[in-house]
Amino acid sequence: MFSRRSIFLILFAWLGSFAPAMAAEGGHDHLPAHAEEVLHLGPFVITNSMLVVWIVAGLIILVAQAATKNLQLIPSGLQNAVEWLVEGLYVFLEGILGPHLVKRTFWFFGTIFVLILFTNWAGLFPGIGTIGWSLSGSGVDPHDTFRPFFRGANADLNMTAAMAFTFAILWFYWAITENGLKGFLAHIFAPKGKFGGVMMVLMIVVFLFVGVLEVVSILFRPVALSFRLYGNIFAGENILENMMMVVGDKKWLAWLPPIPFYFMELLVGLIQALVFTLLTSVFLKLICDHGDHHDEEHHH
Amino acid sequence: MIPFLDLLAVEPHAVAEGDGGVVGEILRTFKVDWPFFISQCVSFLIVAVLLKKFAFGPIQNMLEQRKSRIAEGEEKLKRIEQQLAESEATTAAAIAKANEEATRLIQEARDSAAALSESKAQEAVAQAQSILAKAEAAAKAEREQIAAELKKEFGRLVTATTAQVTGKVLSDDDMRRINDEALAKVEA
Repeated sequence: MFSRRSIFLILFAWLGSFAPAMAAEGGHDHLPAHAEEVLHLGPFVITNSMLVVWIVAGLIILVAQAATKNLQLIPSGLQNAVEWLVEGLYVFLEGILGPHLVKRTFWFFGTIFVLILFTNWAGLFPGIGTIGWSLSGSGVDPHDTFRPFFRGANADLNMTAAMAFTFAILWFYWAITENGLKGFLAHIFAPKGKFGGVMMVLMIVVFLFVGVLEVVSILFRPVALSFRLYGNIFAGENILENMMMVVGDKKWLAWLPPIPFYFMELLVGLIQALVFTLLTSVFLKLICDHGDHHDEEHHH
Repeated sequence: MIPFLDLLAVEPHAVAEGDGGVVGEILRTFKVDWPFFISQCVSFLIVAVLLKKFAFGPIQNMLEQRKSRIAEGEEKLKRIEQQLAESEATTAAAIAKANEEATRLIQEARDSAAALSESKAQEAVAQAQSILAKAEAAAKAEREQIAAELKKEFGRLVTATTAQVTGKVLSDDDMRRINDEALAKVEA
């Protein structure tokens, strides 16, 4: 599949990518917990994690365009691979959300999964977090004088929070448009089941309380989603960074200890993309499930 | 070494005294502030819209097209199967009808052959009988003719003999009488 020459080139580039980190002696003694500003565009801050998102998104678009450029009735090569990924994801989400909801929301969940997956894997590429520039002058933290151009996109809480809060807003929109405002509120606060008399009054009080708890849970979902993804990816990056440092002064051997963890991070990248996509889709299904039960009851 | 681990090690009361409490400290540690967060939200929305338009859009269209093509193919296949079944049923009905017709024709042919055979046999019998009757009639006529000739010859011989024996010339009445008497004696 790969020629011997290309394998050597990849290995050389990978080993070469450690050079800036090694060269930045004393300037980058830990991985910062947050993304760093690369430049300012008016009120907008461009961070090193944002650059990775754009590069990955650009590559995804390029691949999608290349795959759909010369469509064949019987797909092969890139078209086949892309179709396999998208169709597999669509069928997977259809199993959770149902045919109606998946048609409406696939663009979002597809984006979330593909973007998280490929940005996680892109974070493992040589040069991410190691190629950058040195800061100098007054006001610069002497322990943090190195600024990488790129940073693992999901090792930035702002990025994971942006995805989680965007989902939260879309969740409200989809939930209300699917159930109606009355149905949406009823889904959260109304008693489930058939009760009468005193039991009904009691159940209204109980379900109101349960509804309040549900609202708290709904409000905390984006926070939990953000920290879960960020924590896992940032921890992975920290492990890789620290593994390079365990060799101490033998820096020529720094490439060896992280290798097993690269395989683990490949898996973590996939699992975290799946977890985020699964949780968000299940949250949406839970709130939109109301109508289906009514249908089922009618059928019964 | 790592700020957020340092943060976890901080005593709660010490954090609470800081600006914004625990939440403020968390937000500062992870640098979650409005400019960064809003920029990331805008960036993510742009990326999501671009991916929807240029990545998922074309691929989904392609898959939709294929799905509709497959559905059309399946529909066509169903129609063809239905037509085939109908055609098979029609063929089977036609074969059954043809079989029935053939059976009927064979039966009719058999009946007709039997009738023809009967009629031909009867005809043959009739012909044979007619031939027999004719033969019998011919034999009878021949016999009668021979008998008449014999009678005539016998009469002539009797009259000739009688005329020679008696020496007289016999009249026609004598000859007829002598013949009749002689014939009556022979026939008796």
